[in-house]
Amino acid sequence: MKLLKKLPSRVLLFSWLTLAAGMLFAAEKQPQSVQVSIGTILASNQSDEFDAKLKGMESQLRVLKYRSYRLLKSESQTVPWRGERVFEIPGGRSLTVTPQEFQDNRVSVKVRLTQGQKPLLDTTVKIPNKGNFILGGPPHEGGALVLSISAGTH
Amino acid sequence: MNECESIERFIERWLDGELSGAENERVRAHVDGCASCRAAQRRLEHIGHALSRALVADAPKIELEPFWREIDRRIQEKTPWHQGLVERARGWIAAPRAAWAVPALIAVLIAVLSYEWYFPVARSRNNLATVESIDSYGRSVALLREDESKTTVIWLYQNPEGDDEAAEETPQPGPAF
Repeated sequence: MKLLKKLPSRVLLFSWLTLAAGMLFAAEKQPQSVQVSIGTILASNQSDEFDAKLKGMESQLRVLKYRSYRLLKSESQTVPWRGERVFEIPGGRSLTVTPQEFQDNRVSVKVRLTQGQKPLLDTTVKIPNKGNFILGGPPHEGGALVLSISAGTH
Repeated sequence: MNECESIERFIERWLDGELSGAENERVRAHVDGCASCRAAQRRLEHIGHALSRALVADAPKIELEPFWREIDRRIQEKTPWHQGLVERARGWIAAPRAAWAVPALIAVLIAVLSYEWYFPVARSRNNLATVESIDSYGRSVALLREDESKTTVIWLYQNPEGDDEAAEETPQPGPAF
């Protein structure tokens, strides 16, 4: 009988403990650094070649409606939060990537594309952890450069 | 407290038949052998008889009809909907029930957090990269988001004047999204 009388208070205590534990586990820890990978692809209509190394992102590239895709360069770097890393892009261009923050399992990155000293594009994109986005357009060798920018936490 | 004082407290309940078997036997045995308690028993019995007689004698004079009518009216009476609601809410707010509100809240939170697993459409939408800001320094830009392949594309178009002198490239028309 005593146990039954104490049941509501025990349920309440247990619930608060469960809630507190759940919130502790749910709180995301800020990872120490980000692995940023840049895939530089040449998209053109000069042939029907599809580079086998790009098989994993074929469905994404097909959105662009070019006939040919060839991987020119692939580079990965570990970047600390708020730290900058510069990736050299064919055609005298460079891509500066700065991871901003990690929230809701998404990595926010600031990306700057430059041609020599001249800035071409500044953007901030929230990428799903280990996901990517595509930045394309700069002309190159009769086609267009397509950059696959991905970021994943360590 | 001596035995008689202890027993006297039980005599009335004993006479009303409210005691358990062992208590009943204990009181009966004591009263049988104790003149003082037997006197107390007789006093109580006397009062009881007197009350019964008085009630029986007066019972026909008591008008019970209005009493039962009032009870019946209250049973039939419909309480306003808001009063029922208030009563129900009061019941839920009462401490023992309020304790269950916390596990219920946890269940709701878990359901909300696992929403994406149960509704893959929403999940696929969240798997897309989100563009927060773009500055293309006066150049034209196209933004495409495609759910099926989870693709977000920022396409930078070159100026028709060809501001990309260093690249010495012919501007491409760009893809037909």
